[in-house]
Amino acid sequence: MITVRGLHKSFDNKPVLCGVDLFVARGTSLVVIGCSGTGKSVLIKCILGLETPDSGQIKIDGTGPLLDRFGMLFQGAALFDSLPVWENVSFRLRRSGRSQSDLRALAIEKLGRVGLGADVADQFPAELSGGMQKRVGLARAIAADPDIIFFDEPTTGLDPIMAGVINALIRDVTTEMGATTVTITHDMSSVHAIADNVAMLHDGKVKWHGSRAEMASAQDPYLKQFIAGASDGPITSLR
Amino acid sequence: MIRLLAWIGATTLGGLAALGRLAMFTSSTVRHSVTPPFYGREFGQALFQIGFLSLPVVGLTALFTGGALALQIYSGGARFSAEAVVPQIVAIGMVRELGPVLVGLMIAARVTSSIAAEIATMKVTEQIDALITLATDPMKYLTVPRVIAATLVMPVLVGVGDVIGIFGGYIVGTQRLGFNAASYLQNTVDFLEQRDIVSSLVKGAVFGFIAALMGCYYGMSAARGASGVGAATKGAVVAAAVVILAANLILTEAFFAI
Repeated sequence: MITVRGLHKSFDNKPVLCGVDLFVARGTSLVVIGCSGTGKSVLIKCILGLETPDSGQIKIDGTGPLLDRFGMLFQGAALFDSLPVWENVSFRLRRSGRSQSDLRALAIEKLGRVGLGADVADQFPAELSGGMQKRVGLARAIAADPDIIFFDEPTTGLDPIMAGVINALIRDVTTEMGATTVTITHDMSSVHAIADNVAMLHDGKVKWHGSRAEMASAQDPYLKQFIAGASDGPITSLR
Repeated sequence: MIRLLAWIGATTLGGLAALGRLAMFTSSTVRHSVTPPFYGREFGQALFQIGFLSLPVVGLTALFTGGALALQIYSGGARFSAEAVVPQIVAIGMVRELGPVLVGLMIAARVTSSIAAEIATMKVTEQIDALITLATDPMKYLTVPRVIAATLVMPVLVGVGDVIGIFGGYIVGTQRLGFNAASYLQNTVDFLEQRDIVSSLVKGAVFGFIAALMGCYYGMSAARGASGVGAATKGAVVAAAVVILAANLILTEAFFAI
């Protein structure tokens, strides 16, 4: 369903993506892992059309990116400060011709799906905790029942329990919807909770790609070092 | 010497590139202003924020300036026995020049800074990216409503500023300098011409366009982090003030060239 071929992207002559090839089958969940600064966010932004690749192809069911079919949960939730929660959730549908009361009802229903009550609907994002903001961001991402949902570091900045809650929500909601999902993270608990397939990005290329089950027995030294969190191995970092 | 030349070249190219980006942003804003979708609620909010909420600062600025102008003209005019021209010069000074320029600068301080800081914050917190992923064009949703609102509401603010400025001169003239109230008003009305008022309102519209455009441009171009927001806000206010003053010279030349 999502096909990425030979994707290249540089910033100020510094290469970030150096020929990325990926395939995500319809209805499956791909988790892209990799160290900080390896181009995971750039990859997702290229697929979304937020960044223009230098070269390469991105096809969604054979066509280019279509924002109407996408949902996105940002790392910091990226909720609109000036709008109450229910307007954030129903933002994409505000030009659909539905009445304000319909939009509000829909927003409350979506908030319910991510475990938030109707009392949150009239609050502003600044009044919510980080975990609640992520949930609202997730409700906004699924509000229009998109075919494809992207998650950018969904558990960053959350305590382990809340991270587990968000991972479970992502898994439940996307399975229920039958959506195709792409998640970028360096949190292995998210990988185990969300992934059908895993791709490891390093030095702007996919170093390993396989199913979650295959990951445990994979012999790729980059993947093994990343999973183990070892300081010794082919991935070098500044200490 | 080579380094100096390289620096001059790089600075010149950088300046031209920035000018090009601003020109493209301006043309994109104008193009989006005449093509749907239009965001009525955002336009209404911008109208309220830029117009109604600016009235106190515009009114106070004009009131104090009009009063001070009357004192200055009286004091200066006394050097060649021309104290009687206070009503006429206050009127012409406020309507042709001080009203539009001061209101423009106050709007640059109050509105441009606010727009730049708000949009820059949205940029660094990925809210602009979020808008795009929600199939909403940031130019149409953020820039166009603010620029159109500022362009439409600024002539009204300038008109209000002109009237309050003249009123400030009237208060000082009649209460402090001993002018007859009726003749002060009569002299003011008789002396003003239609083109004085038209030029004042046109300047207001142009300055409003500049003020909002600069806020949006610098906000959208903000770099990362809190320092990026600060730099965008400062750059927007400085650019808006300078461009407003430059535009004032050009418009004054266009309206009143002999």
